[in-house]
Amino acid sequence: MPYADLGGKNLEIDEDGFIQDPDAWDEAVAKALAETEGVADMSDEHWKVVNYLREYYLEYSMAPMIRKLCKETGFPLKKIYELFPSGPAKGACKVAGLPKPTGCV
Amino acid sequence: MRWKRRKRSHKAEKVLERLDEKLNRQMVGSLLACVHCGMCTDACHYVLANPGDTTYAPAYKADRIRRLFKRHKDWTGRIFPWWVKAGSVFTDEDLEELRDIIFGKCTNCRRCSLNCPMGVDYATFNRMARGLLVSVGIMPEGVAVVSKDQWEIGNQMGVLKEDYLETLEWMAEELQAELEDPTVAIPIDKMDCDVVYSINPREVKYDPRTIADAAKIFHIAGENWTMPSEGWDMTNFGLFSGDDELGGAVARRLYEKVIELRGKKLVISECGHGYRSTRCEAPNWGKFDVPFEMESSVITMLRYIKEGRIKVDKTRNTRPVTFHDSCNNARSCGLFEEPRELLNIVCTDVREMYPNRAENYCCTGGGGAMSMSEYTPLRLKSAKIKADQLKDTGAEIVVTSCHNCVDGLTDLIRHYKLGMEVTQLVNLVANALVIEKAGVAAEQEDEVEVKGGEG
Repeated sequence: MPYADLGGKNLEIDEDGFIQDPDAWDEAVAKALAETEGVADMSDEHWKVVNYLREYYLEYSMAPMIRKLCKETGFPLKKIYELFPSGPAKGACKVAGLPKPTGCV
Repeated sequence: MRWKRRKRSHKAEKVLERLDEKLNRQMVGSLLACVHCGMCTDACHYVLANPGDTTYAPAYKADRIRRLFKRHKDWTGRIFPWWVKAGSVFTDEDLEELRDIIFGKCTNCRRCSLNCPMGVDYATFNRMARGLLVSVGIMPEGVAVVSKDQWEIGNQMGVLKEDYLETLEWMAEELQAELEDPTVAIPIDKMDCDVVYSINPREVKYDPRTIADAAKIFHIAGENWTMPSEGWDMTNFGLFSGDDELGGAVARRLYEKVIELRGKKLVISECGHGYRSTRCEAPNWGKFDVPFEMESSVITMLRYIKEGRIKVDKTRNTRPVTFHDSCNNARSCGLFEEPRELLNIVCTDVREMYPNRAENYCCTGGGGAMSMSEYTPLRLKSAKIKADQLKDTGAEIVVTSCHNCVDGLTDLIRHYKLGMEVTQLVNLVANALVIEKAGVAAEQEDEVEVKGGEG
């Protein structure tokens, strides 16, 4: 698998750009990943989404349903797509340091 | 010197043994008929994007499978193997090399099949070969993970029943708020309905806007409809993995649920491989005689407009759009005029893409390619053909009737910085929907949220 310089670290990523080691994730890495997903500036709202995704993943080893994400962050569906133009699966999950979601996405 | 037979690995033995069971007339015809004329070469987007590399040519890729048939089944290969280019597999490494060709260098789009003057359906025996490798556990990781979820949990994204139901409830509430009508509902497991609606798990897990839009259309059309609480996944990884057993098991869950609900018609949301699997292929895989009608939601929506059950205002969708035909819908199922007819009813500026309909190029994410990260760089490089095709239309939005194409196109649009959006017909129809409310002024209609443009 390839490596990429993200937030001052040289990290292993998959061919779709998802980091492989969730423990290597930190805020600087998240910011660097966000740039690859078209998010130039991480606002508090971005962090709210990203932190929830990461906490959920660390507990359940999978990405949450979009329903849970909206309910827990209090954001409507539309807002998630505004924050992460490439969507919750590929955009927000990547920034939160999750592996690539499975299935045809 | 005594001639010694080369030893085979257990997996290689099994693959050759099972080749026998997979052969039928269509397969043998395709394995024998190739005359190496090269017509398929120009038909393949992998070749066009990688000129000079002959290993991408469909005839070359096909020969990697054909040589096994020649060597072990066809008499010519047993007598003159060198003459007919017969060959075999001996080691697990040989099988892994084959895996990288049949999963990594072909999306089973069938464009070469359509352009073959001899009628060789390469994609069909490429899928057959995938099935042989999958039967001995040789497959990309993504295929293994998704197949496991479809076998065990019943849908390809591992969505649990309570989460599925909660999401539907949530979408119904959103609709109630949007339409200011507390009676709007997404009925679950309602008996004797005219329409049972099935979806792709991607909709419920990551982007349920399409569910809300479909529910809105059913509601306004006054349809007697329902969604099943189980067996609701109409996608089928059996089509991609070549595993007919999985394909049959997945589809039977859905068929049996519709029968249990005594549904009159199964409507399949906009998903190319799901439509092809559920409607065309899976009755064979599952050996199931389907007693009800099956219909693409594209045809359902068009029918509602023609029957006057819904009214649409195309001036709500004015940005230039183009239509991308999904390979499975257009090339394999002949569904290409209806989406265009519908698109022209709901949009003002429709621009054709060339080539189109059954000759359209794959989104490059077909055949399960979106789940096989190991081949992503190869996929995106080959997507150059599709990117040029999209760019030439001058459209701002690409419309497609396939969830897999939505993701494949989104990926390549970003990679090639095309700045286009991707959407589906259901979003555009819902956006153009004219909602007449008794005694309520027309200005409320203007408040209908503008969707459709978001991918």
